[in-house]
Amino acid sequence: MDIAFKNEHLFVGDLGRLFVALAFGGALISFISYFFATREESLNKDTSWHKMARIGFWLNSLAIIGMGACLFVILYNHYFEYHYAWSYTSRSLPVYYIISGFWNGQEGGFLLWMFWQAVLGNILIRKAGSWEKPVMTVVALSQAILGTMVLGIDLFGARIGSSPFLLLRNAMEGPIFSNPDYLSFIKDGRGMNPTLQNYWMVIHPPTLFLGFASVVVPFAYAIAGLWQKRYKDWVKPALSYGLFSAMILGTGIIMGAFWAYESLNFGGFWAWDPVENASVFPWLTLVAALHVMIVFKNTGHSYFTATFLVMISFVLVWYSSFLARSGILGESSVHSFTDLGMFWHLVLGILIFLVLSVYFLAVRWKELPITKKDEDTYSREFWMFVGAVFLALACFQLIIFTSKPVWNAMFGTNMGPSEVKEYNIIQASFAVVIMLLTGFTQFLKYKKTDSGRFFITTVVYLVFAGAVTALLAYITGAYKLHWIYVVVILTSIYSVVANSKILIDAFKGKYKLAGSAVAHIGFGLMLIGAVISAGTSKVVSENNTGEQYSAEFAKEENPRENVLLYKNEPIEMNGYSVTFLGDTLEGAQHLFNILYERKDATGKLTEKFVLRPNVIQSQDGMSSSPDTKHYPLYDLYTHVTMTNVLAEKKEDEKAGHDEADEDKNYDAPMAHEVGVGDTIRYRDGLIVFKGVNKQAKLQNIPLTEKDVAVGAQLEVITHGRTLSAEPIYMIKNGSAFDFPKKLEDAGLKLRISKILPEKQKFEITVYQQPESKKKFIVLKAIQFPYINFLWAGVIIMVIGFLMSIFRRNKELKTV
Amino acid sequence: MKKSSIFGIIIIAIAIAVVISTYSNSSTYGTFTEATETQAELHVVGHLNKGKELYYDATKDANYFSFYMKDKDGKECKVVFTGTKPQDFERSEQLVLTGKMQGGEFHASKILMKCPSKYNDNKLNVAEATPKTANL
Repeated sequence: MDIAFKNEHLFVGDLGRLFVALAFGGALISFISYFFATREESLNKDTSWHKMARIGFWLNSLAIIGMGACLFVILYNHYFEYHYAWSYTSRSLPVYYIISGFWNGQEGGFLLWMFWQAVLGNILIRKAGSWEKPVMTVVALSQAILGTMVLGIDLFGARIGSSPFLLLRNAMEGPIFSNPDYLSFIKDGRGMNPTLQNYWMVIHPPTLFLGFASVVVPFAYAIAGLWQKRYKDWVKPALSYGLFSAMILGTGIIMGAFWAYESLNFGGFWAWDPVENASVFPWLTLVAALHVMIVFKNTGHSYFTATFLVMISFVLVWYSSFLARSGILGESSVHSFTDLGMFWHLVLGILIFLVLSVYFLAVRWKELPITKKDEDTYSREFWMFVGAVFLALACFQLIIFTSKPVWNAMFGTNMGPSEVKEYNIIQASFAVVIMLLTGFTQFLKYKKTDSGRFFITTVVYLVFAGAVTALLAYITGAYKLHWIYVVVILTSIYSVVANSKILIDAFKGKYKLAGSAVAHIGFGLMLIGAVISAGTSKVVSENNTGEQYSAEFAKEENPRENVLLYKNEPIEMNGYSVTFLGDTLEGAQHLFNILYERKDATGKLTEKFVLRPNVIQSQDGMSSSPDTKHYPLYDLYTHVTMTNVLAEKKEDEKAGHDEADEDKNYDAPMAHEVGVGDTIRYRDGLIVFKGVNKQAKLQNIPLTEKDVAVGAQLEVITHGRTLSAEPIYMIKNGSAFDFPKKLEDAGLKLRISKILPEKQKFEITVYQQPESKKKFIVLKAIQFPYINFLWAGVIIMVIGFLMSIFRRNKELKTV
Repeated sequence: MKKSSIFGIIIIAIAIAVVISTYSNSSTYGTFTEATETQAELHVVGHLNKGKELYYDATKDANYFSFYMKDKDGKECKVVFTGTKPQDFERSEQLVLTGKMQGGEFHASKILMKCPSKYNDNKLNVAEATPKTANL
């Protein structure tokens, strides 16, 4: 029986699904037509295949834009009858996060990937010239395979792909969906995960996906080169695209690191999380490939290695996508996506491109221009090749270690995920070799170099780098680290120095090598920054208190990294005086104002700033993001790990303001008989009875001649602050009333419980909140030294890539 | 012997070393029973016993959090974690602890939680949807 559901907006979804089908169809037509166009090129002048192929691809591009538009309409208008809108957005979500809602789900991720691939395809159609047909065959194939990922149709009982236009009532089961009016029960979506509500989520995924998507271009050129037997020509255009790809992918990865550092509470920029590692695989092999491609272009050596590395880079893009999306990482990653039933679909994606690569290499094996002669030992090409192999080895180690859940699934083993320490040590060893190579290879020439002179320059620079390292290690305290990290710093400095020499030469006229020199310098600085910063970062919120539970515990488990801060009660932390001032709500953000003050020996205030870490509260959870004070040489990073402020707010709302209830919030009251000038001591300070106000007035209560109202002027001195309060006692129509005064900030309630005229004294009752009822936060603060080397290094590296792209493009035009 | 062959052998040796080190360095998944028998760090998968007390009082000690977890065999053990109580801990569906047994307590150095799925499951929480009719 069909139910006529009310208030659904089915048209957008139908249109969206039509676009999904068109996108897939277009890509398939394009692939087939390009394939035949490539094959028949030599036979006749008929261009109909070629025309059809282009039309197919354009159709695909338009359909992708259409899909995007439909999805946007659904998200923007909060059509919660669609599973995607319901899962990732809510009405309270600000409009700019609607954009990130777009790629919050896996379907959106595929859509983004397809979009970028379509853009690249259109650029290739315009620019690739004689390469268009074979190269676009591969791109269209990739586009068609991606198209199947979002199809979401049932075929022979199996769901193929997952569509972003799936209706909520089709996505899940529930008795509610037998109600034609079910939509009126679904008032809001589940909303976006609070950790993703960040501007980095708006720009990090598109950059990363452009990086992933663009790897298809060098891959397509490598295949086309084999297919068309144009073994030599493919390298030049592929080099430009490959550089672009490595630049964007690198930027995307680092953006993720920066996001984690700035906005997530991981407490660092890199955690060797499987999904993070997976995004690095293709970058490493691609960078290795670029080096070997240059070798091949200049000397004719290393053809096979260049082709292989380019191919494996794209296969690894798919593998990385598989790791992130198939759910296989399960319990070992924080990024965990669950399986959308596409496990084997993703495996198929990897296999198609793997088989394609192996097939072409095998078929053309005998014709490949593989050199029989070895490179000279003192030649640049040989050591560039060695460097590329070590980059690939570093990648191999990452793959083997990261894929443990895959090995567990394949071989039934039971290996736990690798520790950060293991990755650090092993990758540092690879880094040493690679940095050394990027250093001394600069002093070598292609073909043959004079060995004597080479050794002298190498050693001179190495000694110089050693001196700089010694100094740096001493200043930063890095010498206390494991020796391998010191060697990483040494070789990185060596590489920076050697490449600086090349850069200086470049300014003197050898402009060509400037790009690579700048990129190498950037990479070196990045490693130096990463090692020093991660190695010498220090938790400054050390906690040496702790009560009965932890006396024994404290002995074995140091350091203790969280400190408790009561509101307005400053504590000393690493030379700062730190005070929790209070919290403010700004939209969905809940900011905690934390004042840092530094005083010099004489007690004069030398520095003062407020950090505002943020806690986002969503329907059923909270998510904490840090705030960081940036200094030129280090960062001070602060985040709230726990607070009772949020919980209290909820209770307040529930309980209302009942007097009887409220007294439960305080410790047992203490009554004090005091006269003017007397002082009451209490746990957190002093209360001074300054004077009596005989003309006390109360709002809304008119006093007649007979009535009396007396106020006690009290001064509260607590934690270096002075507050004043005036509780009132009143006799009206013969009855006594008292109006207590609450000091929320100090956690106090003061009341005049009695007046003793004969003694000239008042009885003041002090209510104070117990420690646990006072507002507090638990805070963790970390100091990251020299982190700016890391970010500066990345920017310099990207500039280096850009310079290289311009250089290679220039070469392309002149040929 | 050609230089490239020597280089090739070195590379293969490193690759083999990497593969072997995967297995030898690897900590494994286990249960509380296995944790009592070994001194090595172990990953224990299980779920929180929501019936027993979760102890965390920042005012007493901001770095002490204890709770009870049942592992996959159903064995229960007290777990102590040096740090604050992770956000949304009570809602966790599955926990992966890294640490070792000390006395009768499992001392965790790391806790990884699987939360339900507010963001990735496919169960519509009808209980959440129905009270909203009251607003109409």
